[in-house]
Amino acid sequence: MRSLHIDGDSRLHRMPAGLKLASLAVISLALFTINHPAVLAIAALVGLASHALLRISAAEIWRRMRPFVLIVVVVALFTGVFSGVTEGLVALFRLAALALFASLVTATTTTGDFIDVITRAAMPLERLGLLKASDVGLSIGLVIRFIPEILSRYEVIRDAHYARGLKPRPLSIIVPLIITTLRSADEIAAAIDARGIRSQK
Amino acid sequence: MDIHFEKVEVRFEGRTVIHPLDLNLSGRRIGIIGLNGSGKTTLARMINGLVKPSSGRVTVNGFDTVAQEDEARGQSGFIFQNPQNQIILPLLREDIALGLKSRKLSKDVVAAAVDAVLDRFGIRHLGDRRAHELSGGELQLAALASVLVTAPKILVMDEPTNQLDIKNRNLVENTIRTLPEDVIVISHDLDLVAGLDRVLLVHDGRIAADGEPAAVIGEYRAMHGVHG
Ligand SMILES: Nc1ncnc2c1ncn2[C@@H]1O[C@H](COP(=O)(O)OP(=O)(O)O)[C@@H](O)[C@H]1O
Ligand SMILES: [Mg+2]
Repeated sequence: MRSLHIDGDSRLHRMPAGLKLASLAVISLALFTINHPAVLAIAALVGLASHALLRISAAEIWRRMRPFVLIVVVVALFTGVFSGVTEGLVALFRLAALALFASLVTATTTTGDFIDVITRAAMPLERLGLLKASDVGLSIGLVIRFIPEILSRYEVIRDAHYARGLKPRPLSIIVPLIITTLRSADEIAAAIDARGIRSQK
Repeated sequence: MDIHFEKVEVRFEGRTVIHPLDLNLSGRRIGIIGLNGSGKTTLARMINGLVKPSSGRVTVNGFDTVAQEDEARGQSGFIFQNPQNQIILPLLREDIALGLKSRKLSKDVVAAAVDAVLDRFGIRHLGDRRAHELSGGELQLAALASVLVTAPKILVMDEPTNQLDIKNRNLVENTIRTLPEDVIVISHDLDLVAGLDRVLLVHDGRIAADGEPAAVIGEYRAMHGVHG
């Protein structure tokens, strides 16, 4: 997985990116107002089943969800311990459903479409003189573009540890990860300048 | 091309990387050779305004890279050493279109320009592929397309064939040879450089030789004890 977007021609792929993002916002709000574990579990199942309908393999779903698993489990466990089992299940299914629905949007929307829709959404702020809308679009596009890249870089560094018989430790992974990421961020910033992508005219 | 370096010096963190330099670049095809760390990339980046001189000034077709940054930058395209970092969006077609975004053209005009530049390099079939699925040679052609879609007059390339196997190297070299744009190419590939009009040899932040490719390459070999 080197790109969050997955090729396809489903209805979701063809739906305008703006509509998908707006729906995701509405669904997220709904998920946070619902406090019934069974309903939230059904929502998570719908999210999962939609991946299957898009013919996204189980392995690919796991790869997409893996970064969230730790945080979802930790939050759910804490909630379960301090507020009771029901609350723990509510947190578990709510966050899982949220991650799954968001993954549906990133799987069916190209980075270019994200940039366009976010740029348009930020236009009112540009008119108020607060920021440049195209910069907001580009920044968010870059974040989406680099999440998988940072993950695969993490795997490279972890494998380098194994190759040398070292046990990967958080610090010895995070430091090189930050350094290589910043270095390529510099290069990408230079490429954006060189290609005139941010020029004022 | 018409590029002037006037008393240009570059210091990074107090260390002089390019010593005071006066240099005029004109003509069609210029090569830059020299050891790793000699200052080739720094020199080339100044043409695109990516590196600003610590003192002195650089003009490109009459535009100052500091005072008229956008105009000067519009004169040249820059191909980075690692095309991986140059391709910004995963889908090639979207990435190439990104270079035209700031021009506020209609969708159709952008799509036609993207197709035209893909056709120019015979890679239209790659338009809907993702950058990370491409071979090294395809990636380098994609980088060329993404830069040339904005029609710069000068193309600056930083070691464009460095990471390629022999097959892809031939492909990219042959493409470079037939480019109608003015080119400045940094390379360790002395065969490629030998076919250019003029070669600069950079050594320790200075121009150690400048002229006919055969003579400059001969000097480079002699300097480092390589014969043949
Ligand atoms: N951004 C920078 N900050 C500090 N030092 C740099 C930077 N860029 C290049 N250098 C240094 O400047 C010198 C010349 O580098 P460079 O122009 O990349 O050489 P070349 O391309 O010939 O290998 C090297 O010693 C390098 O370490
Ligand atoms: Mg270099």
